[in-house]
Amino acid sequence: MRTLPLKWTRLRRWRTSLLIFLSVLGPGIITANVNNDAGGIYTYSVAGARYGYALLWTLIPITVALIIVQEMVARMGAVTGKGLADLIREEYGFRMTFILMILLLLTNWGNTVSEFAGLASGMSLFHVSRFVSVPLGAIMVWFLVARGTYRSVEKVFLAACVFYGSYLISGFLAEPDWKSAAVGTFTPRMSASTDELYMIIGLVGTTIAPWQQFYLQATIAEKGIKVENYAQSRWDVIIGCILVSVVAYFIIVACAATIFISGHRQINGAADAALALKPLAGGAASALFALGLCNASLFAASILPLATAYTVCEGLGFESGIDKRPHEAPVFYSLYTGLIILGGLAVLVLSESRQVPIILLSQVANGILLPFVLIFTLRLCNREDLMGPYRNTRTFNIIAWTTCIVIIALTLLLLIRFFLPDYIP
Amino acid sequence: MIYFTELENLPAHDAKGEYLGRLADLAINPSQNSFQVAYLYVMTPRKKLLCIEREQLSTISVRAAQTSVSADQIGCSAPDEGLICIKKDVLDQQIIDVNNRKVVRVIDVDFDIQPDHKHTELRIIAVNVGTAAAARRLLQGLFAKHRIRMITSILPTRTIPWEFVSLIEPDPARRVKLRISYSRLAQLHPADLADILEELSRDEQRSVIESLDDETAAETVSEITTRMQVALLNSLSAGKAADIVEQMAPDEAADVLQELPPETSAEVLANMEAEEAEEVRELLGFEENTAGGLMTTEFIELQETATVESAIDAIRNFSGPIETIHSVFLTAANLTLTGVVPVARLLVADKDTALQELAADPILSVPFHADEKTVINKFRNYNLLALPVVDDNGRLLGVVTADDVLELVVKEK
Repeated sequence: MRTLPLKWTRLRRWRTSLLIFLSVLGPGIITANVNNDAGGIYTYSVAGARYGYALLWTLIPITVALIIVQEMVARMGAVTGKGLADLIREEYGFRMTFILMILLLLTNWGNTVSEFAGLASGMSLFHVSRFVSVPLGAIMVWFLVARGTYRSVEKVFLAACVFYGSYLISGFLAEPDWKSAAVGTFTPRMSASTDELYMIIGLVGTTIAPWQQFYLQATIAEKGIKVENYAQSRWDVIIGCILVSVVAYFIIVACAATIFISGHRQINGAADAALALKPLAGGAASALFALGLCNASLFAASILPLATAYTVCEGLGFESGIDKRPHEAPVFYSLYTGLIILGGLAVLVLSESRQVPIILLSQVANGILLPFVLIFTLRLCNREDLMGPYRNTRTFNIIAWTTCIVIIALTLLLLIRFFLPDYIP
Repeated sequence: MIYFTELENLPAHDAKGEYLGRLADLAINPSQNSFQVAYLYVMTPRKKLLCIEREQLSTISVRAAQTSVSADQIGCSAPDEGLICIKKDVLDQQIIDVNNRKVVRVIDVDFDIQPDHKHTELRIIAVNVGTAAAARRLLQGLFAKHRIRMITSILPTRTIPWEFVSLIEPDPARRVKLRISYSRLAQLHPADLADILEELSRDEQRSVIESLDDETAAETVSEITTRMQVALLNSLSAGKAADIVEQMAPDEAADVLQELPPETSAEVLANMEAEEAEEVRELLGFEENTAGGLMTTEFIELQETATVESAIDAIRNFSGPIETIHSVFLTAANLTLTGVVPVARLLVADKDTALQELAADPILSVPFHADEKTVINKFRNYNLLALPVVDDNGRLLGVVTADDVLELVVKEK
């Protein structure tokens, strides 16, 4: 055999690993980006509008926490070849799985409602009535998945991620004061104000959600990513998490440079933020912001119901998969279709104030679900019979348990505030 | 009949009526009897695991279990690798329903109580996957057992008889100990097997494929999606992957190898028999979406001067799958294609007839660089089952068969 010069072999090795990377690319980036959905954009906008650049630093610990949490399930997916719901069912039995799946359904129904609400308010800025945009969006989303194959769907999703770039542009168009932004990014500060604390909890909550654990692990398992290629897959996860924060960063910056500076710091929705940008940063920035909102809402409205249907079927043992026909996987398609219809319908039929109970219910379900999911993830990730040499190391465990306990504590705090506002500051 | 949900946590007493603990698990010893419950495991209040042997069980009901011996005669060994434990290995795990060719997750397990003159025997009847079983699992321990029976009696049940249950065990050593064989699976149609595989996780897929003979494995792999083919072949050893790819039709083998990472694909080729590897390598040189990429190199080629008799001989000696032969192809001394003879015409002709006389008119063929559309249109316009592929000098390179074209058309839709 002819031996290649060293430079070439190195180049070739590099090329091979790039090819492997491109083949495993997807699950991490897609999962992470769905976090920047309508609810996420709203939370970031409020953070920027109310506190300016001051809370930018929180994005760094949030990104790290997100990476730690997501890396574990990605690793489990690659090592076991099974989804998280599968593993929970096998380890913790039918009843526990059933309860978690009901909670997941509730959480994601509420989330789907807020996605469609986001789409409606985003499109209304382009003078499209919600009675047009919501049904149209729902039909688009349904057909994309029900009539597509896994590969084509994944490509559409990846392409949708590109549109998050619109936030970067609108961030620049807002002409922020980059020096203040840099100060806000690298100097952690906590004021005594409880409102600010809840703002931070909101930021954490919108970024780390239970459904993404299920979805990420299942897609990695389904993609057949091998343990040997896990190093590349981990980059997919890390890049995804960083991208999310970059987008969040620019949303906060755009709102800080305009709405916060202007002094009128009250906004009631993500579309409000887009509207407020108009006189301050120009029509282009405002339109891009609204476009980003529509894209994010539509993107999340298609993935959330899909991920929910997948996870519930996986945990309870029903046939699932978009490569199957509806009669082959009736429960899967019913759940998927049902979530889209009920989500869209809630936005069309109920007034905004009437949607609040649904969103509240969903946040409560989320608050109960998240601790279970995180603790199960950690425990499963430490099982030698499942993970073998890939189980958590001691150092990683300390970091991961600390992270998860902090997230759980913050989530519960938010939950308590909803129900017993008198008992805590 | 008694369900596992009713047996779990059942209080157990010894011969004197002394409380032992609660039933934790049941185990079957497949090397002796794959239906009989061989051991009952009881967790004592002090968290010690007792092991009641089959002969020591005196009575068992939804209320309690009693042994025929006293507590000190009961051993305390934990179940070993060679036993199937109901709770650990069956409940909530995926199994293959061989009869209905489906992968399902077990929700409950049904047992039969058979009182003998000296002791009572528990026999496993079926695994339960219906709504009633799901309700039992949800209500287990929350209501009295007879209440649960009453509530769930109105719900539909679905059971799979234990003899049609195939457990899935990724660890090959344990598979041997548990005497799990996939021999029943090998009798299924490869397309059904492929559907089953699609439901399994990667390690489980590998364990099933490894236990099949190479030919069945190859047929099954040909039926699964390209994405799964790649993942599966990637997870097998290069030797086993080569054995399987060798048994696949060369065009399908080339398609799969094209999708694998270059290193893996080279490794698989290196492990294949020289002759098969050569055929596949030739095909790998063609563009994927052209006639060359679609064609197989397994076909019957005869000299244009040959007779019907020699054609039938050639079919008899054909090494590939014989049902794919629709025509035989005639070539001149310089290897250019000069005729195509449908097999049906061979059957009705005299054995000394020259093949040239039976050749279909006109000779249809496509150049190897023709695109998919051209190929599909030729098949449609001329109602073909097979279409020869030639190089620019008219030399015969291979044959595109109707099944591959059908797949293309379906994919485009």
